[in-house]
Amino acid sequence: MRKIIVLGTTCALGTVVAIALLGARGTAVATDARTAPGSIEVELCDGQTTVQVAQNTPPTPEQGKKIADELMAKWKANNPSTDWIDEEKTRHALLPPADNSDLVGMGQGQTYGLISKEDVLVWQRETLAMVARGSQIFHNGDELGSTVAVSCDMCHPNAANTHPETYPKYQVQLGRTVLLRDMINWCIQHPVRGTKLAEDDPKMRALEAYILSARKGTPLNYGRR
Amino acid sequence: MAERRTLWTALLLATTLPLLASAASAEQGPHGAMAMAEQQARFATLLPETDVTKPPAGFDPIVWASIVPKDNAQTPERVALGKKLYFDTRLSRDGTVACATCHDVSRGFTDRRNVSEGIDDKLGRRNAPTTLNALFFQTMFLDGRVPTLEDQAKLPPVNPVEMGQPDGAAVVKAIAGDPQYVEMFQKAYGRAPNYDDVGRAIAAFERTFAFLDSPLDRFLAGDPQALSPNAQQGWILFNGKARCVSCHQISGANPLGSDNRFHNIGVSARHQDFEKLATQAQKALEGKEGKGATDVIDKLALETDLSELGRFLVTRNRSDIGSFKTLQLRNIGITAPYMHDGSLQTLWDVMDHYNKGGEANPYLDGGIEPLALSEGEIDQLVELMFAMTDRRFGDDNAREMTRQREAATAKRPFRDEALATRKVFPFEQRLQKEK
Amino acid sequence: MATRKDPETRWYEERDELFRGLRRLDRRSFLKVATAAAGAALASGVTVYPRSFSMVRVADAAKTGEGFSFAYISDSHLYKRTLNDRFVNALMRAVDDVNALDPQPDFVLYGGDLAQLGQAEELDMGAQILKSLKAPVRMMVGEHDWFLDMGDKWKSLFGQETYSFDHKGVHCVVLMSVNEKDFWTERGMTPVQRMQTVAGLDNGTQSRFEVGEPQREWLKQDLAKVSPDTPIIVFSHSPLYHYYEPWNFWTVDAPEVQAILKRFRTVTVIHGHTHQVLSNRIGNIDFHGMLSTAWPWPYAPQGLPALTVQMNRPDPFDPNDGLGDGVAKVSADGLVDKVYNLWNRNPVQVRSSYLASNGKKDRPAETTLKSF
Repeated sequence: MRKIIVLGTTCALGTVVAIALLGARGTAVATDARTAPGSIEVELCDGQTTVQVAQNTPPTPEQGKKIADELMAKWKANNPSTDWIDEEKTRHALLPPADNSDLVGMGQGQTYGLISKEDVLVWQRETLAMVARGSQIFHNGDELGSTVAVSCDMCHPNAANTHPETYPKYQVQLGRTVLLRDMINWCIQHPVRGTKLAEDDPKMRALEAYILSARKGTPLNYGRR
Repeated sequence: MAERRTLWTALLLATTLPLLASAASAEQGPHGAMAMAEQQARFATLLPETDVTKPPAGFDPIVWASIVPKDNAQTPERVALGKKLYFDTRLSRDGTVACATCHDVSRGFTDRRNVSEGIDDKLGRRNAPTTLNALFFQTMFLDGRVPTLEDQAKLPPVNPVEMGQPDGAAVVKAIAGDPQYVEMFQKAYGRAPNYDDVGRAIAAFERTFAFLDSPLDRFLAGDPQALSPNAQQGWILFNGKARCVSCHQISGANPLGSDNRFHNIGVSARHQDFEKLATQAQKALEGKEGKGATDVIDKLALETDLSELGRFLVTRNRSDIGSFKTLQLRNIGITAPYMHDGSLQTLWDVMDHYNKGGEANPYLDGGIEPLALSEGEIDQLVELMFAMTDRRFGDDNAREMTRQREAATAKRPFRDEALATRKVFPFEQRLQKEK
Repeated sequence: MATRKDPETRWYEERDELFRGLRRLDRRSFLKVATAAAGAALASGVTVYPRSFSMVRVADAAKTGEGFSFAYISDSHLYKRTLNDRFVNALMRAVDDVNALDPQPDFVLYGGDLAQLGQAEELDMGAQILKSLKAPVRMMVGEHDWFLDMGDKWKSLFGQETYSFDHKGVHCVVLMSVNEKDFWTERGMTPVQRMQTVAGLDNGTQSRFEVGEPQREWLKQDLAKVSPDTPIIVFSHSPLYHYYEPWNFWTVDAPEVQAILKRFRTVTVIHGHTHQVLSNRIGNIDFHGMLSTAWPWPYAPQGLPALTVQMNRPDPFDPNDGLGDGVAKVSADGLVDKVYNLWNRNPVQVRSSYLASNGKKDRPAETTLKSF
């Protein structure tokens, strides 16, 4: 058995794999228990992701590319996407946070200093990250701890009908005046049948962030039922 | 079917027990009530003279102003007149029944019976709610058919099974000959005795029945020792897993422990012909509106016992079939038995009823669900409920707690663990019965 | 409180007056009233009253031939019972409701989304529960039933997803209107991932619903032999019009489907998926939504048809609020009056005359607590 370590990007990959296969032709058959007899195991540079390749695979760049794609897909499946924020954004049509680019070049003093484009980008991405995290939890019964596989989006698609702009208000289901997070907890306890989140739990904060973001532009109207 | 028959027998037997229990020390008046003179003496110790023109201590004055009617502001004269009328059996046709007969000062301002007994020893259909704190309700009676204490007070005297007078004029005639009454009416309302003022005076008296000083209140005001640890756990369950708070709301501006709404929690469904009655009533609505519908329903009431339909008889809304008002939780420990027909004898029975999700019927309020509460959690909630009794009734409360605990240890007829923990579904049982 | 008006007091006083008056009657008159009361209680043959949920004796609307009625149960979204008992209990309540109807409907339409994640055990359990229905059942498929195995289990349990039948002079068509263009292959999704994507109403990764060309061809063929005077009822899971695209309250080729139906005098579409009281009329076609037994959807932020009188805002404390089942009453002329049997609320009836008059006549009961 010969393990072939594969590096690099797809294009180079194709050629590299092809050359490596050429080199591997004619060597001893596999003795490693993991590898099926008559095949070669191709391993990614992370030392974990592998694919099996038949011994008589033609060593063409196309075949090489195919193997490289397989490795990439396997790696992606096992590792959360680095694009998770933008994937969540597309999946659930997240609204962007305020732009703030009008502040570039402004500011003075020690905390704000002179605001740069990079600053504005960091603010946007970090804010969006919390909202995206909230959206993930909002749409996932397991993350919410539901014992009945119910998630928030079942009654509140795109956080519709959540009305964060009306808090604080007297919430009839709770018999007292509450904030948004209290109602989130009530919903988690009852329709979602999970366990209440602590008020400073990162999940609670992310849920609040997502719900507030979904009502961007709505005027505040506390107490409205 | 056999279970229901046993249930009825148990209920009949249970009616007699409270009577025997309450005949403990006091002198007994007619219909099992404490004698009126003794009740008045006891009342004086409970509520010594206070300034009746002020709202109860700590109560929101704006909300208080909306509770007291403009034509019946609280004055000492009106309260004194109402007190005299409340304990006066002359208001009834045969002189044996007063308000205090069924709203007895020594029995939690109710009568501790499944259903009340009135004139000629006739039994009614419904359990008497307590007059304690009744002033805070938005409607009166179990079906909320009148909005004020004034209106409520005028109905039992002329009800044929309660105080039995033919009309309001007969009530006035019974007392107008008494010169003391004439003077008191004059001082209170500046008029000769009349039936509307009878209602007003009794209401003014009942507006002093604010009993809001329970261990729970002291706990919520900031004294951590006021509630036992078990009761504190009960309070957490009350607001969480046990779902009580959604209908039994307690807040500063609404201290009752009631949402003032009407819910079918399945008690009426235990009556054998409830669904048949409901279908009849629904059919009676077909093609009729307004007075026409009213007439048909009223005529049906002569033939059958439609009392189980509750709020529906008032509103004619299909969604109100079998609904009754959420009663208050304050002083619940001393106002057994429970529910609109007095069918639940102890607070443990009440918890069992809710824990298994009430009684399945097509009109069951959707908020009623199996709760899967453990025995320990049930005990904590019961302890919390007993902690909602005003401290002035502490002795009575303790006695009741002992009595109910003994009764609950002996039997728990409404307990159903399979339903409570969702191993079995109520509608599954119904479908299987049909097969 | 002096300012509060109370109609109930007046009612109670009248009731007491009645009792007192009756007590004053002599025995013969009393018996007369008593028998009249009994007769009133058994009143039958009355015309349909909008606020009652009961089976119709089709009276005034009928002309020639018979009318009939069918019940519907829709959108149950079952999980396996150990995972979620609430949805199972709710479906059983709906079956109980339909079985209690008197007289029984001619058939029961199941409106789609029987399972939540298309799993075999979900579909098996749903089929088992629906067997308790006394009336015959016609099944329609929804996206939650389909996209795990592209309909294999559904077809093995219930047969073809697209079919038609005739019933008492009405031609009924059942469509599979939740087809989606392939979005899963390029993303390398597993069947479970595909199903979960479709299961999210607001998940933008999936495609929009369509009937699709092959089925539109089939529909043309099927309707080719039907005369324009024959009433048509189309059962569809997606609404067959454009309401709100982000939530797939939308059928892409709705205009094409509506064009095929254009030549018929009376067409009614009964659809699921929207889990709310929903009414519309486009050209010659009436559209009625069905209630879900599992959870209510909110009304979409835009695109709500003007003819819809919204149902009252559901209370989250009551997991049965905004849900239910219902009945459609079909007149001899094929006009459909739709009754929404909302659990724990008064039923709502949307009559064909309301839609035909563009909202001027027979308006359903007004909303008293609107969503906002």
